[in-house]
Amino acid sequence: MVDIDLLKGLAPEEAERVLALGKRAVVATGAELFHLGDAAECIYLVARGRLRLTLPMQVRSHEEDILVEERSSGQTVGWSALIPPYRFTLTASAPLETEVIALPREALTGYFAAHPDTGYKVSFNLSCVIGQRLQLFQAMWLREIQRMVETRCA
Amino acid sequence: MEMLLMGVCLSVFGLAVVCLAFGAATRDADNVIAAAPAVEKEMIKAAASPARFFVDPSVLPMAARTRVPIEALLLQIENHVRLEHAAAECFLESPNASLLHSRTMSTLVN
Repeated sequence: MVDIDLLKGLAPEEAERVLALGKRAVVATGAELFHLGDAAECIYLVARGRLRLTLPMQVRSHEEDILVEERSSGQTVGWSALIPPYRFTLTASAPLETEVIALPREALTGYFAAHPDTGYKVSFNLSCVIGQRLQLFQAMWLREIQRMVETRCA
Repeated sequence: MEMLLMGVCLSVFGLAVVCLAFGAATRDADNVIAAAPAVEKEMIKAAASPARFFVDPSVLPMAARTRVPIEALLLQIENHVRLEHAAAECFLESPNASLLHSRTMSTLVN
């Protein structure tokens, strides 16, 4: 079992119990795991392979999926499943055959209600994943603003 | 003697042709445009292309940039995102203003 960012700090048997709530799935090369705007029912842990997270962008009057981030083994995708309004805000596709563990929201929230310690640890890990994304994109956004200012004021 | 005169005539004729060609090549563009109507002058100025020697790719007109195939442009965008991602990660490892605004090698913005 690879190190999974969402399950850090959990005892191995505790982590196994959480993983047992999920179902393994294989995403074929080039296939989509979820699409922007879809209802987000599951959060996914990447067990093997890689996922591309993309957003649509107009390039020369054509809509193109532009890479925003890549996630690989041990990383979490689709945390929109745990955050209202439970809609995916990105599209995830597999550039190569990828295996994921799909954890349904219903099963997770039920388990966390019964095991609040585990719920706290997983929620803490989830906040780290979200926080890291926020900080990263905040920095990327500011770099773009800086370039825009330099271009306009040159 | 006749051969010599013929040679001199040909030389003078050649020199005249060279002078005319040189004059045409170095004629001031504004002098030519001055005779044209004002609107036509504007059109000619807009159509005039800049010098191509040692051209700076960053100042290439948009039209020239759009000649890049879309696949190449998408790769440039993806490469740009990866570089920006890496730059942002560097900043998060050691947050400071210089790392936040470090220069990028991305061909999309350079």
